[in-house]
Amino acid sequence: MTWWQEIISFFSFAEPNVEIVFWGSLLLSAVSGLVGSFTFLRKQSLIGDVIAHSVLPGICLAFLIGKEKDPTYLLIGATIAGWLSTVAVDFISSRSKIKSDTAIALVLSVFFGLGVLILTNIQHSGMANQSGLDQFIFGRASAMNPADVRVFAVVGMLITLIVLIFFRAFKLLSFDPQFAQSIGFPLDLLRVILSVITVATVAMGVQAVGVVLMSALLITPAAAARFWTDRIRVMMILAVLISAASGVIGAAISYTSSGMPTGPWIVVVLSIMALFSSLVGRNKGLLKSRLLRWSNDRKIAIENTLKSFFYLTDGFENDPGPITNKILRENSRMHPADLRRGIFYSRMKGFLKKAHGGWVLSEEGERISKETVRKHRLWELYISKYMHLKPDHVHDDAEGIEHIITPEIEAELEELLEFPETDPHDKAIPKVSR
Amino acid sequence: MITEVKDPSIETHNLTVVYNKKPAIWNIDFTLPKGQIIGIMGPNGSGKSTLLKSIMGIVDPNIGYVRIFDKTLDEVRDQVSYVPQRQSVDWDFPASVYDVVAMGRYARKGMFMRLNKTDHEVITACLDKVNLLPYQNRQISQLSGGQQQRVFLARALTQEADVYLMDEPLVGVDASTEQSIITLLKQMKSEGKTILVVHHDLHTASDYFDWLVLLNTRLVASGPFAQVFDEDILKDTYGGQLTTLSKIASLLKEKSFPMRHK
Repeated sequence: MTWWQEIISFFSFAEPNVEIVFWGSLLLSAVSGLVGSFTFLRKQSLIGDVIAHSVLPGICLAFLIGKEKDPTYLLIGATIAGWLSTVAVDFISSRSKIKSDTAIALVLSVFFGLGVLILTNIQHSGMANQSGLDQFIFGRASAMNPADVRVFAVVGMLITLIVLIFFRAFKLLSFDPQFAQSIGFPLDLLRVILSVITVATVAMGVQAVGVVLMSALLITPAAAARFWTDRIRVMMILAVLISAASGVIGAAISYTSSGMPTGPWIVVVLSIMALFSSLVGRNKGLLKSRLLRWSNDRKIAIENTLKSFFYLTDGFENDPGPITNKILRENSRMHPADLRRGIFYSRMKGFLKKAHGGWVLSEEGERISKETVRKHRLWELYISKYMHLKPDHVHDDAEGIEHIITPEIEAELEELLEFPETDPHDKAIPKVSR
Repeated sequence: MITEVKDPSIETHNLTVVYNKKPAIWNIDFTLPKGQIIGIMGPNGSGKSTLLKSIMGIVDPNIGYVRIFDKTLDEVRDQVSYVPQRQSVDWDFPASVYDVVAMGRYARKGMFMRLNKTDHEVITACLDKVNLLPYQNRQISQLSGGQQQRVFLARALTQEADVYLMDEPLVGVDASTEQSIITLLKQMKSEGKTILVVHHDLHTASDYFDWLVLLNTRLVASGPFAQVFDEDILKDTYGGQLTTLSKIASLLKEKSFPMRHK
């Protein structure tokens, strides 16, 4: 089978086990995106990493005690170990001089080291049933069985229910804990609840993603979703969708290629989505700010080009003969490339047309031209008066500001300056009929 | 110079808070009047914020207690509103102005009850009082410092409390916002509210406060503004610490010595 056919066979649930892997990954990653939103909002990404690494010794010990890979035992063992690690971080950073970043690094490496140690021991002990335990390090979604998924479904449902019930409290805890406490919310209890569900989420998630990359599944969905919205509810729904999609796609890829761990694939898919969000996300997306800059540059080029016509014709009073590219270039202070672009865009927008062997402005073009000069001179007058600048120091500032003055601000300036006729250089401020 | 009042709004008894083994406030013992604007002033690190937080139960006092309207905080919690410092939260949080102001109603609704029509009317009215109605759908990071401060005030207003504890509500706001906030506080006072304001600009203090509390780890003065706002008392507050007191404080920290045996 080709790779593509295998992917199709995965999503058509051709083999009975596929259905289990599908639902298992979907559940794990969806819950992780939900709970991780609060980890993200509370800026506790590193704590997520500590928990994820620290569940390993718990899983191994649970296996040693239970002698089999019963998902309930493993989950309980993982949760206890993860919980202990957060307690250890809190204890160290509050009771000693060690700062929290150091405490985090310390606890993470001690727990993870311990986990690897026990794991190696188990593997060399020749115990039955131990195969597959090492898959907790990088994750192997295809190793899930129906019993696992049943446990995940129950725990996942419980966690989702808790998040829904305590949504308001968790939101306030994340935004303004002092205020939450001032209105009598039981802060300590809420922190414990949130901690427990985070640890439980991680303990489940390591099945699919593995301890090393689990924190990515917790944090990245929310981080990616944040680029698209300013609403916490929308952000959390998006985080769940992004996470679930990554989980399923990652599991599918890993399923189709034997021996391929799931965690790295889920994280790769997630990272691509996060990268995409950071580029084109509506909110602070790089593409958006780039587009904004393009549109600003275009506006400036157009207005500066049209303004040149005002100066060349003394405010459209005289006819200097045909205005050619050459004349514009020689008389304008614009960079030739900007001028070329300005002419191109102005023409595209119909502000400029060819006539009588040169360029002629349309009615709208002439209006914009006058308007720009008018704003320029109003601004010069304003800053010479309110910033106490000498008349020969006001031009450069006005060159930039003239493009951003809105009609409302223009009206404000007029009123403030008592409807002036001339600028600080005694040049007439052109009137524009609107 | 400490003036006691009968039937106080807030009373603290030997209130002492130890941070990192060093007292941040030490034996604060005062009674504050009702229905006045009360300024809390003192140099940096003199424990002004700690005092508010310990009245509000956000930090537990190591020694001493607080009574509000002669009751414990838990008995009168819905009559007390706290406005944290603006910088204490991350304004990049995904929330709109309306969302944050609505949080004030949680004080009455608790963690689970839905906001109803009355709540939404109160929220809108409070947004209007601080002139933020046109901004209600803005993401909070897109606001100026003064606007963010007004968001916090509006949130406090929705609590419809009787006592307001405000931590530096005039920091980082422009002059016109400062005036509008003061006007609002005076209007609240005329409705019988008691307002505690942590403030640090001595020049404007006389225009704002009816009562003044001066703090420098210990309580230096508490009384009607005109009596307390006196050169000698201010010198005592700002001019330095009592050297023996600060020596003892450093020793306590150095030796990890308990302030009082339990």
